[in-house]
Amino acid sequence: MDALSAAFALALTLALGTFLLGTLARVVLWIRTPSPVPIPLAPAPRTRAGVAGRLALELLAFRSLARASLATWLPALLFHYGLLFVLVVHLRFLHPLLPPWLVPFLSLSGWATLALVAGLLTLFARRVLIARVRRVSAPSDYLHLVLLLAIALTGAALARRWPTDLHSVGAFLRGVLTFHWQPLPPHAGLLAHLVGVLVLLLVFPISKLMHAPGIAFAPTFHQRDPNAGAAGRGEGASGTGEKRGDAPSRARRR
Amino acid sequence: MSVPAPTGGPVPPVVGRYRVIPLIEEGAASATRPHPATPEVQEALGFPARLPSDWKARALARLGELVAERRGLRVFLETCTKCGACTDKCHYFLGTRDPKNMPVARQDLLRAVWRRHFTFAGRWFPWLVGARELDESVLEDWFRYFHQCSECRRCTVFCPSGIDTSEVTMAGREILASVGLGHHYTQEIVLKASTIGNNLGLRRPALADILENLEEDILEESGVPVRLPLDDATADTLVVAPSADFFAEPHVDGLIGYAKVLHEAGIRWTFSSEASEAANFALFTGDHAHMQDIARRIRDAAIALGTTRLVIGECGHAWRVAYSYLDALVGPLVDDGDGRTGRHGRASTGGERGEDRIGFLGRAHPRAEHVCEVTHALWRAGAIRLDPTRNAGVVATYHDSCNVARGAGMGDRPGGQYTIPRELLGAAVPSVVEMSGDTTAQRTFCCGGGAGMLADELMDVRVKGALPRAQALEAVVAAHGVTHMAAICAICKTQFAAVLPAHGLGGVRIASLHQLVGDALVLSGERRGEG
Repeated sequence: MDALSAAFALALTLALGTFLLGTLARVVLWIRTPSPVPIPLAPAPRTRAGVAGRLALELLAFRSLARASLATWLPALLFHYGLLFVLVVHLRFLHPLLPPWLVPFLSLSGWATLALVAGLLTLFARRVLIARVRRVSAPSDYLHLVLLLAIALTGAALARRWPTDLHSVGAFLRGVLTFHWQPLPPHAGLLAHLVGVLVLLLVFPISKLMHAPGIAFAPTFHQRDPNAGAAGRGEGASGTGEKRGDAPSRARRR
Repeated sequence: MSVPAPTGGPVPPVVGRYRVIPLIEEGAASATRPHPATPEVQEALGFPARLPSDWKARALARLGELVAERRGLRVFLETCTKCGACTDKCHYFLGTRDPKNMPVARQDLLRAVWRRHFTFAGRWFPWLVGARELDESVLEDWFRYFHQCSECRRCTVFCPSGIDTSEVTMAGREILASVGLGHHYTQEIVLKASTIGNNLGLRRPALADILENLEEDILEESGVPVRLPLDDATADTLVVAPSADFFAEPHVDGLIGYAKVLHEAGIRWTFSSEASEAANFALFTGDHAHMQDIARRIRDAAIALGTTRLVIGECGHAWRVAYSYLDALVGPLVDDGDGRTGRHGRASTGGERGEDRIGFLGRAHPRAEHVCEVTHALWRAGAIRLDPTRNAGVVATYHDSCNVARGAGMGDRPGGQYTIPRELLGAAVPSVVEMSGDTTAQRTFCCGGGAGMLADELMDVRVKGALPRAQALEAVVAAHGVTHMAAICAICKTQFAAVLPAHGLGGVRIASLHQLVGDALVLSGERRGEG
């Protein structure tokens, strides 16, 4: 196997490891950080099912964002669902033969890519054009969008205009996942696409991209009404399974 | 100052007006600076008297501690995507146009420092991620702009990541206090409440005097000997009201309303001179230890008086603390008889001493109750009767107080904090009008005086922060001739009475909900002047 393929296989292995372990470590840190007092946003659900419903609405429908601004909500929704769709299409690389259930996804992947790119461009435009948003944007906020755009556009090019040997790509990716490295087609567009993905994987656990798992760990969303069950319905009000019952720590000062 | 002109003709829908999002104006509110706490107050609360030479190290250490102790703060600092959803949701931003009053920008004052000193990206690439070294100018920004936030959590309603700016503001204020920069107004009140028992420093003789005079007033007016008992050990219900209710207008009329309702219902209740304050200003400074000190006075008073039921008066953040925090602060709440465990069968969180493990509420009333839900239940059960014709001519609207609307519940139904007070108001007055739905219930705008913002030196920002509420109120005044705005929060009442005149709305009466309830209440054996 050539040095370039080996380098990419090694880099991708490390990046995937960093992404998975880094994200996991961050989430574990969140779980282990106590919530000394309950701070759900009222009215808060009174049951676990209610909390699940609230989180589902936030995670799947971006409910709060819809409340705030439909003009932000729509591009955000287009981008995230476009991305999800395209990621599903990438599952084709996990098996040498195309699984039949993926065929309809494949046929619609062009539209998904379009939604993804349109969403990203709109989000970028509003970050530049709206003074309030521009005021709170750091360079990294633009670069996250640029990175995702670069990955999306190189990917779209590979799929449509600038073809590469997808069977070899699949073999390479499976090789990375199973630690049996396979050669990578030497294709500039493909390498650019992969470099973008590498950067994204590495940046994910140490950036605002952690908002994806973070939404589920915001106490405002995931805590129940503090008195759910206090009136004798037999449901522990502190049963959210967190450390909310921990004594507030005496402030250490001086 | 953008004060809407009083209008004579038809008023355009208020939504169309306040949704005009102002252009940002850098530094527009930077001249407003809170008064730093005096060295005496700082030291009495266990903080340095003034900025110590090693303030930076101390501030960063405290920041690290707070992030390690509070999941909310950690997650909120790490997950903001700068999407901008919150940028036009804060009443202080809408009123002042200062971009540092956009919720995300306020968080960024702390987040930038957190990134610079605690994260990989911020340590190595500060310019890339907007990280900022902690220096004097940052500290000054913290002091000013963490005191231009009323911790009302309206921005949280619109945040796709559920970020609660109030948690960031509280952390900022805690850090400031830990380096000698407390807010005088707030910290002085925390000190008085935790040492004397109320925010005003009223001691027992003064309280007894006030209550006696009020009893005389009620007797004179109605002919009914309604009592306002103090430290009555035969009572089974402890009522804790915000101390403003004892003397301020229109608060005191609400206090009279509670007394009339409880009298009519035959409830044996009492105030306590040891815990004569429902408000817990330590919520505003974020300091859990101080919050616990103040809450413990209520618990100790209940145990000393032998009461089994706790009723909280009309006070927004008092209700948030009582409803949401009390168990965590001074639990267990319920006395199960064995004196060892609370209602959850969980070991006490109150402290290490044995007596801290005794609950102070009976099983029949296992949590603190809001005076509105008590009155509402009595009215529903027919134990009291309300006659709205006694408030003839009143066209009322209702202001949802932020801490009640977004920080607590009421009754045993979801959203009871919105419906219960409205149903009471509807029963007490002939006509009720709703303000624009974007300014009520969960989306209510803070009055502009919450979380220590009631301090005199912050008046400019207070007036501007009341702008969205004033606009919504003005619309219903013009369209429906609203005469009264009812509220169930001592701060809201004080703030509105002070700032609405600046918005040309001085003619609207700010009323305690229980004032209108008390006026409508049919007292047994009463003598009616005009009857």
